[in-house]
Amino acid sequence: MIRVLSGKQRDAYPDLFDQHFRLRYDVFVKGRGWSLPAADGLEIDQYDDSDAIYFLDVSEEDRIQGSIRITPTVKSSLIADYFPHLIENGQPARSSSIYECTRYIVQPPRKTRGDNRAAKSRIIGAMLEWCLDHRLTYLQTIIDSVALPTYLDLTAQTIPLGLPHPYGGGRKTPGGGDCMAIRWPVTQEVLDDIRNYGAPAEADPLLAHVAAAPPPAEFVH
Amino acid sequence: MTDQADLYGKRTLDFIERLRTLDGYEDICRQVQTELEWYGFTYVSSWSIPGPGEDPAQCLMLNTRPQDYVDHYIEKNYMVRDPVVTELRRTLTPFSWNDLRSRGDLNKSEKSIIDEGRDFGAKDGFMIPIITPSGSVALFSPCGPEPDLTPRARAALEVIGMYSFHAIKRALIRRLRAESVHQPLTAREREVMQWVATGKSDEEIADILNLSTPTVTWHVENAKRKLDAFRRTYAVVQAIRLGEISL
Repeated sequence: MIRVLSGKQRDAYPDLFDQHFRLRYDVFVKGRGWSLPAADGLEIDQYDDSDAIYFLDVSEEDRIQGSIRITPTVKSSLIADYFPHLIENGQPARSSSIYECTRYIVQPPRKTRGDNRAAKSRIIGAMLEWCLDHRLTYLQTIIDSVALPTYLDLTAQTIPLGLPHPYGGGRKTPGGGDCMAIRWPVTQEVLDDIRNYGAPAEADPLLAHVAAAPPPAEFVH
Repeated sequence: MTDQADLYGKRTLDFIERLRTLDGYEDICRQVQTELEWYGFTYVSSWSIPGPGEDPAQCLMLNTRPQDYVDHYIEKNYMVRDPVVTELRRTLTPFSWNDLRSRGDLNKSEKSIIDEGRDFGAKDGFMIPIITPSGSVALFSPCGPEPDLTPRARAALEVIGMYSFHAIKRALIRRLRAESVHQPLTAREREVMQWVATGKSDEEIADILNLSTPTVTWHVENAKRKLDAFRRTYAVVQAIRLGEISL
């Protein structure tokens, strides 16, 4: 089930938070080689304060199999502080109705495509639902630009905030790539899209045929 | 940030905004072509890479390259010798034909395959690999006489390619779905959807029809399933298109 906790509750749930910060260390510091502050195998940064909200997908055996963090943008944000160049049209958002989403992890026990989709839908859906309940307008985040199609698949309302820029030495460097800022409107429609994404695929035979279908005659000349 | 960099970004964001308002395959393709023309691309093709044994002609989603060029390419089986195809096996980072040419390691046959584009006025082209959500690779490939392939243009084109590919794919799916036979709605489902079309919430509809809200929601969900619609707004569009309700 998805547990929603705020940074204020860190002392109330020490084991859960410990597990969460260790998982982040494994995934981002060890796994992706990001240079993040990491002491004692815990990945904790300056955005892990009392205003942060955590969504933790906790299994029956109390194992965290997915997590995501959102933080307000009013005072600071990853984009405003470190990646302002990703915003093409002016200043990075600083608004009480816009939150930033970071440290996204999805690790279902079975890594089938269906389970992956369901797990993604569950945690991102919980996050969107919380944001909808709290009347937020947008959720912004930074993604690896090659992953854009996956986000578009989640919802077509994935809005780019600027063009991609290289990070970590760019794509030719191990551990590097191109990143871009995107945002989602916080609406029922987007939430519906995310829920539908995780719904069991009554395998759409039409989807398999799209790539095989010849393009309509009027566009082949 | 220079003015030119602003222009690429602004144009791209505007283009994507326009794309989001379009549903029809033709409208989308037209928008895509127009945007690419600003970069000096006069042709574009987009397709998914065929698997072993799959007919390459079957995977095309958009093509404005001359048909006889495409036919010739397939007939001569250029895929096995095309340096562009070889490069795509090594990298998923976008690259241009000139990038390959300037590496200086193409043999004569490889050079001539790339150069065949000149026959229809394409001296350079940009290959944008797209990793689809299912994990397979698709391509978005514009070409033209002298396209703008500066670094910021490339960044913009990659985003344009991914959004265009996604929009085209969805438009094709929608078209295929519309052509398939749909399950008719019950009278109650039609009645509920008629109210949904006026913008009423499930609670309001429940009041109007003297039903419980969960029952109304249940009818909407059934209608969505029958109309093959993921969202109720699209269910309304489908219902109107298929003559189940009217405005």
